[in-house]
Amino acid sequence: MNASVSEPLLDVRDLAVTGGPHRLLEGLSFQLASGDRLAITGPSGCGKSTLLRALAGLDDPAAGEIHFNGRGREAWGWPQFRRQVVLVDQRPVLLNETVGANLCRPFAYRTSDNNPFPEERARQLLDEFKVGASRFDQDARTLSVGQQQRVCLIRALLLSPAVLLMDEPTSALDEEAIQEVEQRILTECSERKMAALIVTHDGGQARRWCERHIDLKPFLSSPSRARAGGEA
Amino acid sequence: MSGPQTLGYVQVAIATALVVLAGGVSLTLKLGLERRLLWAALRTIVQLLLIGYVLKFIFGLDHPAAVLGICLVMVAVAAHAAIGRSEKTFAGLYGLSFLALVASSLITTTVVTQGVIRIDPWFKPQYVIPLLGMILGNALTGISLCLDHLLQELKDRRAEVEMELSHGATRWEAAKRPLSDAVRRGMIPIINAMTVVGIVSLPGMMTGQILSGTDPLEAVKYQIVVMFMVAAAAAMGSMFVALLVYRRLFNNRHQLCWQVIQDKPK
Repeated sequence: MNASVSEPLLDVRDLAVTGGPHRLLEGLSFQLASGDRLAITGPSGCGKSTLLRALAGLDDPAAGEIHFNGRGREAWGWPQFRRQVVLVDQRPVLLNETVGANLCRPFAYRTSDNNPFPEERARQLLDEFKVGASRFDQDARTLSVGQQQRVCLIRALLLSPAVLLMDEPTSALDEEAIQEVEQRILTECSERKMAALIVTHDGGQARRWCERHIDLKPFLSSPSRARAGGEA
Repeated sequence: MSGPQTLGYVQVAIATALVVLAGGVSLTLKLGLERRLLWAALRTIVQLLLIGYVLKFIFGLDHPAAVLGICLVMVAVAAHAAIGRSEKTFAGLYGLSFLALVASSLITTTVVTQGVIRIDPWFKPQYVIPLLGMILGNALTGISLCLDHLLQELKDRRAEVEMELSHGATRWEAAKRPLSDAVRRGMIPIINAMTVVGIVSLPGMMTGQILSGTDPLEAVKYQIVVMFMVAAAAAMGSMFVALLVYRRLFNNRHQLCWQVIQDKPK
């Protein structure tokens, strides 16, 4: 399970996360190298989303270490780290602006180092993800939830992250769209050597999409295990 | 120019007839407000007499420590009132409200008393205390509106703020929108007041000066100074409190500490 990879991009050691007062997961270690695709599954409420938030540095882990490219995250600077290890939330979060403005927004951040917004690529991805480049100037919040979810993925991909953390990225998509999205992420991983970490409750997707798979059950803290056992 | 018309207690008693008249309206229309009206009228008399005696005492002492002491009490009470309105709160909010009021009122009071009016001695209570009162009143309205809006926004729009953070925004970039919206909210009442001043109503201070025999144009000059002073106080109060809240709710790992924000018990 703790597959060791040469030159890890993301190195997670002995991680523990809490949700409110409860410790959810503990003793989790794994590594992720360039181009890796790793799926994480586990019972609902076990702390999958909390784990992703901790990896992205939105919350502090209760214990353990996370290294990126051989250095601690604080050594990179937190915004610079998050620019390279981008989290896409399960619920699509778009600002009350056009699709184009939403896609362009991260390029206004200081961490973007004046990199210009790749508008052509944005339009191309909108087409490939079956949202449609014609929606570039449409108010983002008038899109369907499934379309919004895809726009969020596009926004993350445009940043060309080293690692993409995805929380149930296709939960609101139909079969056809799921295949498109999966194919696109696979291409990004193989061509651009992006590493992908996907949290999903869909075992089929985990097998189809990822070469490695971590089931969180062995890492549940004792109280969490008792709760999960009670549910089963 | 005639001097101010002084009032005797008998004359104040005659004014009481006006409140009795209001009570009569309540009785006639069965509004049931007589008790509350009586209570409110008594409180007006007692509170104002008390503050009158306190002011008379302080004016009599004519000592900087006494003036600074009462100023501190005024700021402390205003800081409490400023956080009273917000439906959300967090530990240490009173301290931030107090700091924002001290900073904004210290700057404006100093500029007006030392730079504009140039009072002598520098602590002359007849000027410092009423001016500070007006400054605090407006700064606390600004702070209160700004805080209410900011905490609500950070709670409601947490997902947006964290989305920006997770795409590489610094904490300042992620917080800028809610912060500027909140400061704008804090400044709107005083901007509105400045727009309609003199047209809709004459400000209390100017009315008071005219009643006490000051030339209207002199009173207007004072009023302009006062309007600018309270506008600056509200703007600075809102800005300072927004920045202090920002420092408290965004840590140096560029995380939004949203768990800190609590709903106030009803």
